[in-house]
Amino acid sequence: MRFLLAAALAVLLRAPALGDPPGAAPAPSGCVDCHLALGDDRVSPPAAAFADDVHARAGLTCADCHGGDPKAEDQEVAHDRRKQFRGKPGPRQIPELCGGCHGDAARMRQFNPSLRVDQLTEYRTSGHGKALAKGDAMVATCASCHGAHGVLAVTDARSPVYPTRIAETCNGCHGDSGLMAAHKLPSDIYAKYRRSVHFETLTKKGDLSAPTCNSCHGNHGAAPPQVASVANVCGMCHAIFADQFKASPHEAAFAEMGLPGCVTCHESHAIVHPTDEALADGSESKCADCHEPGTKGAAAAAAMYADLKRLRENTAAAKEQLRIEAEAGMEVSRIQFDLARADEALTKARADVHYFSPAAVEKAVAEGLAVTRSSREAATRVHAERQFRRKGLFASLGLIVVAIVALAAKIRDLERREP
Amino acid sequence: MSEATRSSSAVPDPAAAPRLSLGEWVRDRLGLQDLARLASKKEVPIHRHTIFYYLGGMALFLFCVQVATGILLLLYYRPSATEAFESVQYIMAEVPFGWLIRSIHSWGANLFVGAVVLHLVSVFFLKAYRAPREMTWISGVFLLFLSLGFGFSGYLLPWNELSYFATKVGTDVPAQIPGIGPLLSRILRGGSDVTGATLSRFYGIHVAILPAVSTLALGLHLLLVQKKGMSVPPSVERKGATRSMRFVPDFLLRDMIGWLIAVGLLAALAAFFPWELGRKADPFAPAPAGIRPEWYFLSMFQALKYLPAEIAGVPGETLGVLGFSLLAAVIVAVPLLDRGASRGKPSRLWDVLAVLVLIGAAVLTVLALMPPGKAAS
Amino acid sequence: MQKDIAEPAPDSRRRWLSYLLGGSLGATLVSFLYPVLRFVVPPRTSEPSLSEIDLELKPSDIPPNSGRIVPFAGKPVLLFRTAAGELKAFGGTCTHLACTVQYRPARSDIWCACHDGVYDANGTTISGPPPRPLTRIEVNVRGDKIVLRRA
Repeated sequence: MRFLLAAALAVLLRAPALGDPPGAAPAPSGCVDCHLALGDDRVSPPAAAFADDVHARAGLTCADCHGGDPKAEDQEVAHDRRKQFRGKPGPRQIPELCGGCHGDAARMRQFNPSLRVDQLTEYRTSGHGKALAKGDAMVATCASCHGAHGVLAVTDARSPVYPTRIAETCNGCHGDSGLMAAHKLPSDIYAKYRRSVHFETLTKKGDLSAPTCNSCHGNHGAAPPQVASVANVCGMCHAIFADQFKASPHEAAFAEMGLPGCVTCHESHAIVHPTDEALADGSESKCADCHEPGTKGAAAAAAMYADLKRLRENTAAAKEQLRIEAEAGMEVSRIQFDLARADEALTKARADVHYFSPAAVEKAVAEGLAVTRSSREAATRVHAERQFRRKGLFASLGLIVVAIVALAAKIRDLERREP
Repeated sequence: MSEATRSSSAVPDPAAAPRLSLGEWVRDRLGLQDLARLASKKEVPIHRHTIFYYLGGMALFLFCVQVATGILLLLYYRPSATEAFESVQYIMAEVPFGWLIRSIHSWGANLFVGAVVLHLVSVFFLKAYRAPREMTWISGVFLLFLSLGFGFSGYLLPWNELSYFATKVGTDVPAQIPGIGPLLSRILRGGSDVTGATLSRFYGIHVAILPAVSTLALGLHLLLVQKKGMSVPPSVERKGATRSMRFVPDFLLRDMIGWLIAVGLLAALAAFFPWELGRKADPFAPAPAGIRPEWYFLSMFQALKYLPAEIAGVPGETLGVLGFSLLAAVIVAVPLLDRGASRGKPSRLWDVLAVLVLIGAAVLTVLALMPPGKAAS
Repeated sequence: MQKDIAEPAPDSRRRWLSYLLGGSLGATLVSFLYPVLRFVVPPRTSEPSLSEIDLELKPSDIPPNSGRIVPFAGKPVLLFRTAAGELKAFGGTCTHLACTVQYRPARSDIWCACHDGVYDANGTTISGPPPRPLTRIEVNVRGDKIVLRRA
């Protein structure tokens, strides 16, 4: 009995330590109570924000990062440097501070076994990490993106590193022209990104798999992809185009010229919907940027453009024919279903442009043209059926007229016989 | 046909009678010669207004066209919310001449109701409801209500957007009747909303209940017409005796000309203006703009729109529905109310009232057909 | 017609008139009956029911470890036979951005060419962006015909 009582007391009174399992109730913290009571703008907000923090939920206290004594009521005792009190860490200290736990696999396993533990290693390879190592403190550290006291899980939509909010968070620094000028970086990236289809897909269509800053630049090892690896990075999602590009003459040519793969034609951040006009020789032409008129390259571009145009026009013509028949009351839904394959062929042909070989595009276009041809033939048959109905109608009407005439003649005859 | 010579047995042996041709045998066993004798007796008076006598037969013919095309459609139609629309699409697209049968049925419904209405109007103005033909009139008005019921129940069966929402609106109207209204609406809908249960119910009404009742009412109506003979309008009667033509073959041959014209018209409509199918009903989609019932309900539909929300504490729609019911009762009871006509007096008051009602209905129908914004609603 | 011109054999004229009347009415009746009789004979194509259709394909048309797209109520359906011989079907529209998927015999999985989405033979996403599994479609074999039904 006495043993049980002692055990119970031990459980109740033990101080929260880093060995605590997650999910334990937030440990008592004199730091929070005192800081909140102070009502000072510098020290109260962090204490208030910490209540929402994932670390608080895991049972951590202020002392686990800042050191000191959370149970002490006297400020000098609480802030005692002999109790490892660190005060507010500066940018140069933050990566090591966070990495102290987040880089320790055994420790992290107690809280979230599937979390990565190489963030600090990655960070040291990043643009931010390298600059910090050289002594530049005006760079992003862990707290810049994740926050310091109200840290939320990445899957929490309120978190600054939730997929739909990452670009905004990065823009906090990368949109500051003064700060960027000091680092010789452009400050209009976010504006460009907002014009892109990736941004539209992410924010308007709500597709969280759409890329944002960290998708291409990396999370903690954030740095622009090297020129040679752009195609690999884009190819993570756009695998087919990457394969096609690698099989095309452009890969070797771009590598030789030091051109950055996909970005050469599609831009890096303002990636908008490509149009067929990129192949033409007008103002939107991408091919003309390198291929002078009269060269083989220009001829290839023109050939591909002409093929795509032909498929587009044939599909439109078939759709129009079917629309006319449908409006005249004929049932054409089966033919329209089959015609949808022509749209798919056009999509494939446009993708095959990345072979940069007119033969490949011609092959895909030919498949589409076969579909449009059969659809148009079917539409013509439907039209013929419609004409047949008209002819059948006139034939029946003719018979009816003859019958009416015969009836009238009979009536007249009867009247003449018996007026 | 010579009779057998008298033999010793009292009953002549039919088997011993001389051989008949097949036609004569059928005629004899069915007693068709009695029918033929009755038919040969029927006469149709010839006068200025004889042309209106054709309307009854036209309505009957169009009814038969509806029955025939309806039975054919029954071979492919499926009365469930998941399959009805697709089965009609199938009839229009895959079944040989399905487009023809279905369009004839849809156009024919409108022509049929039109013919019934014209028939009623002409019978009214020719005062054919006078004694002794009051029951003929009453059974005829009942047939008009039945034909409107056919139109209303059949309209839902393709289960497309327009018909779904038109039925929603249409079954809301009886709910306005005080007391039994909501119950009546529930019985019509097979529930509290228009669902697949409504479709089943309307299908049963359209292909079984109404045809059975119509057969009885039509049988009575035609029987009475034969028994009482053709009525002659008072204005003609006053001028004295009229010539007449035999029903068979003279009138009938002329009837057939009219019927052939009607069939030709239906075929032309089917070929040039096939009845549309639209989109499948989606109860969760908002009602499309411009839903309205078929033209024969439009005047009531428009009238209800003009009624204020409340009149002296009673909901406006309730008063509207009660008003229509009163009008219907008056129409049924016309021969009993217009006793003067039976005595040969010209019923000017009734004529004027009827013209006003007709003009009102026509104006309301035109207003209902105008695009929204133009009608002063 | 003038009365003094004698009508040549009125009886024969009446007979011709009766023939004409009978003939034209008969022909008109046949022109009505012809579409009716054609209507009554059911067409060969299966009925496009929303919930179930018979395909023109025979089970033997789909060899093991192969698949194809068939239309079902206006939408594509992926019909395939696993290497073990089982016939399966799923809605052929990728749940990511609605491209049409295909069966990949080399890996016995279902693949969407647009953004490299991969589903397993049970229609569940195993890689790539698709957020949901493919729609289930029930496959049955009735005699020599394949029947698809919405599950």
